[in-house]
Amino acid sequence: MSKTNLTRRSFTKATALAGLAGALGLGMTEGLKDAPKAFAASAPDVKVYKSLCHGCGMPCVINVTVTDGIATNIEGDPDAPQNKTGVCIKGLNQLHTCYSPRRVLHPMKHIERGTNKWETISWDEAIELAADKIGEAIQKYGPYSFFASSGGGGLYAGFHGYTFQEGFGSPNCFEPGGAQCYEPRAVTAPLMGLPHAPSITDDACLEPFDTYTNATQLVVLWGAQPSISQTAKAGHGLADLRVDRGGKVIVVDPNFSPDATKATVWLPIRPGTDTAMALGWWRYIIENELYDQEFVKYWTNLPFLINPDTRLPFLAEEVWSDYVNPAADPNEVYSNPAYVCFDARTNSIQPFPYSAPADSPVDPVPFTEAEVNGVTCKTAGQIYWEEAEPWTLEATGEYCWCKPEKIEEAVRLYAEAPVAGIVHGVATDQSRGSSQVPLGLNGLDIIMGYVNKPGATITMKGGRGPARWFDRPTAYWTPMMIDLYANVYGFSWVTGYTEKWNRERVENFANKEFQEFYTTLMMDKLGLKEHRGFYNQATCHSPSLLKAIRTGEPYKPRVWFDFSGNKLAMMGNATSWYDIIDEIDFCIGMHPIITSFHFEACDLIFPVQEWLEYNGTGTMLNRTYMFTQVVHLGETVNNYVPSNMILQRYREKYKPEDLMNPAPLLKGDFQDGMGFTEDAVRAKIVDTFGAESWDDLLENQDKYVPMITPEEEYWVFNQHEEIVSDGLPAGFPTESRKLEPYCTMFLLMSRTGFPWIWPQEFPAIDDYSPICTNVEPVENPYNDDEYPLVITTGRLPYFHHGTMRHAPFSRELYPVPEIKINPRTAAEYGIEHMDWVKLTSRRGSMHGRAYLTEGEAPGQLWTERFWNPEAYDATQKNPDGGWRQCNINVLTDNYVDSDVEKPYNEVFGSYTLRGFQVKIEKSERPDNIWVEPEEFEPFMPTLTNEPVTGDVF
Amino acid sequence: MRRCLVVNLDRCTGCDSCVAACKFENHLGLGQYWNRVLPVGPSGTHPDIEMYWLPVQCQQCENPSCVHVCPTGASYKDPDTGVVLVDKSKCIGCKYCMMACPYGVRSFNEQEKVVEKCTLCSHRTADGSGLPKCVICCATGARFYGDLDDPNSDAAKELAKYGEESIHRLTDSAETHPATAYILPAEIAAWKELV
Repeated sequence: MSKTNLTRRSFTKATALAGLAGALGLGMTEGLKDAPKAFAASAPDVKVYKSLCHGCGMPCVINVTVTDGIATNIEGDPDAPQNKTGVCIKGLNQLHTCYSPRRVLHPMKHIERGTNKWETISWDEAIELAADKIGEAIQKYGPYSFFASSGGGGLYAGFHGYTFQEGFGSPNCFEPGGAQCYEPRAVTAPLMGLPHAPSITDDACLEPFDTYTNATQLVVLWGAQPSISQTAKAGHGLADLRVDRGGKVIVVDPNFSPDATKATVWLPIRPGTDTAMALGWWRYIIENELYDQEFVKYWTNLPFLINPDTRLPFLAEEVWSDYVNPAADPNEVYSNPAYVCFDARTNSIQPFPYSAPADSPVDPVPFTEAEVNGVTCKTAGQIYWEEAEPWTLEATGEYCWCKPEKIEEAVRLYAEAPVAGIVHGVATDQSRGSSQVPLGLNGLDIIMGYVNKPGATITMKGGRGPARWFDRPTAYWTPMMIDLYANVYGFSWVTGYTEKWNRERVENFANKEFQEFYTTLMMDKLGLKEHRGFYNQATCHSPSLLKAIRTGEPYKPRVWFDFSGNKLAMMGNATSWYDIIDEIDFCIGMHPIITSFHFEACDLIFPVQEWLEYNGTGTMLNRTYMFTQVVHLGETVNNYVPSNMILQRYREKYKPEDLMNPAPLLKGDFQDGMGFTEDAVRAKIVDTFGAESWDDLLENQDKYVPMITPEEEYWVFNQHEEIVSDGLPAGFPTESRKLEPYCTMFLLMSRTGFPWIWPQEFPAIDDYSPICTNVEPVENPYNDDEYPLVITTGRLPYFHHGTMRHAPFSRELYPVPEIKINPRTAAEYGIEHMDWVKLTSRRGSMHGRAYLTEGEAPGQLWTERFWNPEAYDATQKNPDGGWRQCNINVLTDNYVDSDVEKPYNEVFGSYTLRGFQVKIEKSERPDNIWVEPEEFEPFMPTLTNEPVTGDVF
Repeated sequence: MRRCLVVNLDRCTGCDSCVAACKFENHLGLGQYWNRVLPVGPSGTHPDIEMYWLPVQCQQCENPSCVHVCPTGASYKDPDTGVVLVDKSKCIGCKYCMMACPYGVRSFNEQEKVVEKCTLCSHRTADGSGLPKCVICCATGARFYGDLDDPNSDAAKELAKYGEESIHRLTDSAETHPATAYILPAEIAAWKELV
């Protein structure tokens, strides 16, 4: 047992103990501050509402106490299946944030960009101003001069945020996430035939929290930190899994995360080397025959022989011209191709028609070569094996900075468990390998047969679509944009149907003008001719948009509507965005607070609600709950209102004749299915819960909320084996009706833009890889002498994306970014614990405080995204935008000025935010930032005296 | 009766929700804390390392030195519940108790000129019905409250799940006999004596 100091200072400062005793000393705390007014009142009017927390992307169920009209307490709901009574610090912060002096309560016009000087104007003036600025630009330059953006924290507008600009006839919107957050995983999984990506903090992977079947035995957290990103929900669920239910956790993460500290095995992988680690696991599992042999043979495309010319599987008809496919649909509606395999029973190549495994005429060999049409061909499995073959445990360990024996221990635990699953986080979306990693990791779960089984992390549970298949599954069954494109826009190939059926659907689409308009709009999105994976979300490639703003090629976007948070903190290469602000004729924002982006760029800002102010619905596992508006300040509105008001005014005033009626936007409904006014939103919620009225719902929340899907209808398994309408097992929604670890859709996409823009075609570009291949980080320690240290990032429990840097209780605990560094590395630079340091990359510099820890590998650094809203506090003598001092995104790159060849992920255009090169040196505390707890006093709530107001619309 | 907290460090991920919950509940100002979460480690050499988080607040000592040194009787141990409390009307702000506390968990209220500390949310728990706010809000369900002498209390039931080797108390260097217990199985990390 070792001994370290516990002193009063260690209590007040919570400095890390063990190994850091020298940093400790004595200290005292400051006094109690005035209690909020609410607590001073006598005989208070107290009400408790059931609601949902929106401190991060996915809700927790909470009870909110309102005392004399002021929200005074937040607790988790004891009946909530995941968070129980728990609430994280992000959720608790809302009691301050809602009443923060930083709130925007009225529409405001910027007096001058680059200052915090604003003029309050009326809602009508603000709508008119925004509509005029957009309208004038469109009249002068055309509709492509307008663009929108979303994301960064604080708004979850979904489709609305991605399609709003279409209402003006413009193709372009972007968000900081998308290609760098979730989209690569969210798209790759369904293209391989899986019902969802195994992403745990997007509420996609909920299986580890299934206490109904209680079958989870082991989860691999790969670049995911649920105990930080979603502490009270997924973090709580994982604690229950490990401690109460005996589940094991393996963590693959450069960061010694809270989850890693509890893991059975932690693989501290070198940032950006996930493709190599995945291939190492593939090799070990194939070499040791640990995969599920029956599942691989009959439910995957690995046994298909691949035509070396096309890289696509041979169809049986290509080999035997008179072949009659027994699974062919006589009505020519559904597509059931027969492929070619090497059959172990006959020791020859044979047709491989679709059937139940027991009825198959062949015993296919997944890993082999065979001669087809006179040419030696490999199976898809063989191609994968040859890609993985160099990645022995030793080679993988050396490349990934992990011990080979630890890799072996992890992969054996994973592969020898009766059932397991890889939970895959955001980290790899932020790398050049953003498509290859989900290919590799989903592929591992597929070859292990860990799909649609109790205890797997990818199952077709209820809530995201039908839990049971009765019709033959097609791409309509997956949560993809194909549904929208095909049904609303009138184009796109629906996988699972024949070409004849697809052609007839497109040719017979009723509104030709609409179809043509949207085809053009989709094909004109910036950057999508190269990075076609974006089509799932229909956002554009943000670096391509930035280049268009700079150069005017192929056209110049110049009027900007932003739906959300701090673009200058969240966008890679923030300075490149700052530098184009002068090119923007007019910039419109909406946000509950002023951020650096609004300070520097916005000409107008609309006031929107904090989450204690809005109504809505949300889910936890098999239950649907409601967001309840418990307070309302000033003239704030629902997140959907400003954009719709502007669009409506624009259309009334400018009467654009050549504009199609955009998608479902103008049906009087919001695209996300909610109403246009608060009353319409309330009516929708009343309807959802089957209440008689809003008052009835609020008075009787315990009766109506939650709505519960029975567990046995929610946790459903093995659907692919169930016989559906065509008399065959349902299978999966791919062309082959099998899971496709060899992703044929990526190949087809790179050749024509299939399936999104079909029957239109883009020119062929270099093939997108159909399997996981090793992708080197753009910058890495082996190719960089000038910037020798590799840095990666991750989240903290105190903040969600760019939010809450104005929340005083988070900031006093974590005032400035800590740069985690190994003590041996720090010693090389003369850096001591809590020294101010400057990090510099090829793009720029940021500051933070060194945090010496053995949690980091030597030569590797870790930090969190940061910005400093105190930099433009009224108390500052020389205020600034607060995005330059401590912002990792001043260091990251979006490659708009890079000469690196192919720096983006090929499919998704992702740029690298984690795993790039920097150098470090000692520095001083930068100007205009706060560190000591007392300095954050100006962020303490001041608006509790604001009157509670009624609806604006 | 020995009312206190039991914290299962196998569940705690150091998220500081308990710290904020306490501050909101007890209206503590910036820089003032009645509980903190201390990262212990990582110890060892990368990558062979381990760590845990240690939430610290008043340890509810059975033989509290803060009570013994108090010249006015402001610091006292509730004879019915065993909870150590401060009667602020009797406190003269001499801070003897702060010096005597071996765990540094008392703080001085500069405005009222009195010493304060965790009360186990007595305003919620005194009548035996409620829970401390940090226990309610703990984001990972790591905190348990109750009477260790009552085998049906949440705290006692959680302790009963573990063997002696996994149950720890802060080092009792002043022989105050802290009641607050921490659960830390050896496979997560070795317990460190903090003196």
